Formats: sequence, C-alpha cells, structure tokens
Amino acid sequence: MKGIVFTEFLDLVEDKFGLEMVDKIISQSKLESKGYYTAVGTYSFSEMLQLLQNLSLNTKISIDNLLLVFAEHFFSVLVRDYPSVIASYKDPIEMISSVESHIHVEVKKIYPNAELPTFTVVEKCNDYLSMIYKSGRAMHYFGLGLMKKTFEHFNTTAKIDFQKIKDDGTEVKFIIQKIT
Amino acid sequence: MREEIEVLQRALERERFARKSAEKILEEKSRNLFTISRELKLTNLHLQQLLDEKSSVLEGIFENINDAYLVIDLQGNILKMNDIAENLFGYNLNEEQLNFTDLIYESDKEYTKNSFITLKEKGSLSNYTIRIVTKSNKIKWIQINASLLFDRNKKPKEAQGIVRDITAIKELELQKEKILHQLEKSNEELKEYAHIVSHDLKSPLRSINALISWIKHDNLDKFDENSLKNFELIEDTLSTMDNLISDILEYSSADADSSNQTKVDLNHLVLELKKVLYIPNHIAINIKNKLPNLVGDKIKFQQLFQNLISNSVKFIDKEKGIIDIDVQDKNTYYQFSVADNGIGIEEKYHKKIFKIFQTLNKNKESTGIGLSIVKKIVNLYQGDIWLESYPQKGTKFIFTLKK
Repeated sequence: MKGIVFTEFLDLVEDKFGLEMVDKIISQSKLESKGYYTAVGTYSFSEMLQLLQNLSLNTKISIDNLLLVFAEHFFSVLVRDYPSVIASYKDPIEMISSVESHIHVEVKKIYPNAELPTFTVVEKCNDYLSMIYKSGRAMHYFGLGLMKKTFEHFNTTAKIDFQKIKDDGTEVKFIIQKIT
Repeated sequence: MREEIEVLQRALERERFARKSAEKILEEKSRNLFTISRELKLTNLHLQQLLDEKSSVLEGIFENINDAYLVIDLQGNILKMNDIAENLFGYNLNEEQLNFTDLIYESDKEYTKNSFITLKEKGSLSNYTIRIVTKSNKIKWIQINASLLFDRNKKPKEAQGIVRDITAIKELELQKEKILHQLEKSNEELKEYAHIVSHDLKSPLRSINALISWIKHDNLDKFDENSLKNFELIEDTLSTMDNLISDILEYSSADADSSNQTKVDLNHLVLELKKVLYIPNHIAINIKNKLPNLVGDKIKFQQLFQNLISNSVKFIDKEKGIIDIDVQDKNTYYQFSVADNGIGIEEKYHKKIFKIFQTLNKNKESTGIGLSIVKKIVNLYQGDIWLESYPQKGTKFIFTLKK
C-alpha cells in the first residue's frame, strides 16, 4: 500500500485523537516498518489493517466508520495533490464512473505496481449509476467516503446505497442516485 | 509528564527514521531517473542520426528520381514537388500556390474525382492516366501512381504521387491507331479496285475472244496455215490473260476473314481436290500420313493445296510422276510437305518464286500468282513456307500451319 495512505491516516488520527493515540496504535501493532512511514514508500496492507483494528478497539468506532471518515479526509488530499485530474470533470457521476477507465489508468502510469480495486459500471445515466466494487481488501467504505465527497465537491447530493454481493465485502454493488 | 515526553520522543524518532527512509528512497529514485535519462539521451541521439540518414536518403530520392514527384494535401493543394514536376507543370511553388485539380484537363475532371475517391478508400492508385494543362497551355498526358500518407493516428494526412509524362507514347499510340485505320481503309479500297479492274478487264477480253473466233470461222478458207497458227497463239494468249486476271482477284481476296472459321478435315479436303483437279494419268498423288483437322477457312485451305498440287502437276516432266503429301505434328504447329519429281528449281530462284508475277517458265498456264497466294495463306495462319529443290530431280515445298 502506498505510503501516503499511511501518513495521511496517522495525520488524521493525530488530528482527531491526539499524538498519544498515534503512539498507542503503533505500539499495539506489530509493524515491520516500526511505523516509520513516508509518503514515497510502500508498505504492507496488513500494517494498515492492524492500525485500523487497534484504532477501532481504542475508540470503540467501527472500522467501517473509521474508513468512511478517512476516505472523506483522503478526498481532500487528492484535490490538493491532483487538482488537474479532478478539474477535468464537470459532473460527479462522470467522475465516479470513470475511476477505472481514466483515474486508475493514470495511477498505473505513476505506480505500475499499485494494486487497485476494480469498479465495473453496470448501469449509468445522467443521475443514476450502479457499479460493482471488487477488491480483496474489502475497503468499500473507503470507496463510499470518496464517492460522498465527490458529490459534495460538485455541490450536489446523492443517495448512495450498497449491497454486499460477497459477505466478506470483497465484492459490493454500489447504487448511486443523484438528488436534484 | 514523563510519559508525554516519551510519546513525543517516539514520535520524533518515527519522523527522523521516516525522513531518512524517504531520503534513501528518493535518492535511489533519482539515481534511477539519472540512468534512465542518460539512456534516453543516447537513444535520442541514435534516433536523430537515423532520422538524418533516412531524411537524406529520401531527399536524394526526391531530387534524383527520373519522374515527377509531388505531395498534395487531401484538398489537392500541392505541398511539395521536385524539379522534374516543376518543369513538367511549368509552375514554381515558391512563387505561387497550386492546386492539382486546377491542372486537370476539363473533360478529365470527373474521372479524376472518382480516382481520388478510390485513392482515399484503398490507400493507393496505380497507372491512372489523365490529361493536364501546363502553365504554357500545353496539353500533356500523364500517368500517376499515388498513395496516401498517414499521420501518427493512422489518419490520412497527405498523398504522394509519382507522375510520368507519357505524352509522346500517347501521341504515338493515337498515330498508330490512325494509320491502322487508314491502312484498313486503303486495303478495302484496293480489294474493291481489284474486283472492278478484273471485271472491267475481262469483259473486253471476252469481246476480243468472240471477235477473233468469228473472224477465224468466217475466213477459215481464206487464211493460210501461218495465219491460222497466229490465231491460235492469239487465243492462247487471251486465255493466259483471263487466268491472270482471275488469279489477281483470288490473290486480292486471300485476306484474313474470321467469319468463316470452321474445323476442316484436311485429309478429306485433299482427297476431294484429287477428284476435282485435272491430274494426268501418269501422275500419282500419295498421302503419306493422314492429314489432321485444323480450324480455319476451308476455301483458303483449298486454295493452298490446290495451288501447290497444280504447281507440281505443271512441272512434272518425268514419265511416271509422283506427288507425295505429308505431315508432321510439331506440338504447336503442323509441318506439311508437298513433294514432286518434276523439273526442280535452281537455288537462286528459291526466294523469288514467292513474289507475285514471278514465273520461271514461260508456260501459258503459269501466271506467277499461285505461289504468292500460297505464301499469303500460310502467313495468315502464322506459318512459314520454304522449299528444297534440285534441278531435274524435283521440288519439295514445306510449310507450317499453327494449330
């Protein structure tokens, strides 16, 4: 997993729960990196999983909700670091539906080894989109957070539902209805 | 308080190690980038050299090619042309703009439009021939071979063409056609003329013949033997002249006429001829090998064998005359021969005898046209004729006919 996800995650934890929480979850986890994260590095996904689990244990907030909040924060990182990609879209449904065909293509150019989830569009019209998320990491809440922020970014609102196709969350169908 | 300090110390330690690891990663990356950029520079240099080389080769072809070469955009505007093209069209691109369609001769414009569509669809065009008008208002025939040039996205961008000036060839072709037409016409006239002349010549001849025989009969008791002999000579001469005229007519009509092509059984044809022709009793005609079937004009085959057989009959001086007719299959053609044991022909005359009106013998039956008819017919069937002959021993005519 890219280092920026770890550094942004820990920044957010520090911001919301204080430096002690950061220290706590790092020392509670068995980290190969010892928690020495840098945005330009690459680290094992299991480290993120441990950090999330320990944060959940310590704060009594579910991992899903933690992921949701983290994703909302992470969207602002993307806006900050890749404004041109975001600016090339005029409409949230357009942007979300082209995650696979455009955004991930660009990601692969910079990080050829990145392991990305797949988003397959099932149905799409002006104010409706359904797509299937697939990833062994079962981080669909992270996706949900990014989607919510996307609508916010374009000053629109939407009702976003999802149905787990697989119970472990590795395959999830998103149903997005734009509210006009 | 102490705990807080420890937390901060650990945070500081993480930051420090993170910074060091970031520095290490970045250093490695920049080293990689440096290596890659060095490789790219080398590759670029190599590509540049290759490009220069190819460009100079192309430039050389462009300037040294013997045909006109030009590049046009898809609207027909000429973007580039070599010296030969400039000379051909009479225009200089440095001085004026030029659209290829403006050069085209008015009545060829429609055809050009279609050809341009073909070029766009198929990507190339070969041997497309049109007329153009040069700057000095000269009309020239040109032949174009063209192909499309594509951009990086494989979209047609321009077209290049090699233009050959074929005005001279085209003029010769037209001239040839004209001459051929004239020749046909004059041949036709000649044939008609021969018909008229022979007809016109024959009727006074018949009148003379009639008058002579009346005079002879009316004065049989008054003329002496010498005069009667002279009358006989006059009659013979008239008959020779009549034959002569008939033969000329025959010769003039011995031309190719494709309308009478049938399969002809030559064996049967010769056997029939034997019955029809006057063959003295002391002469035997033998067919050595069965003659084949050939596609052609029956009348002409008849004329061919009739003339050769009569010729042999005419010149047999032996007590027992022999005429041998034979054939050999030579794959693409047949080789025939007609051999006799007659008086023979000296070698110095072997060529001459095929020419019209050439007769070696002042024989009253010989008009000197027969063999020239034979030669004409043989040539008509893409064959050849020659002879082997020894004086006193005999003559063998050999000829070929294409299958």
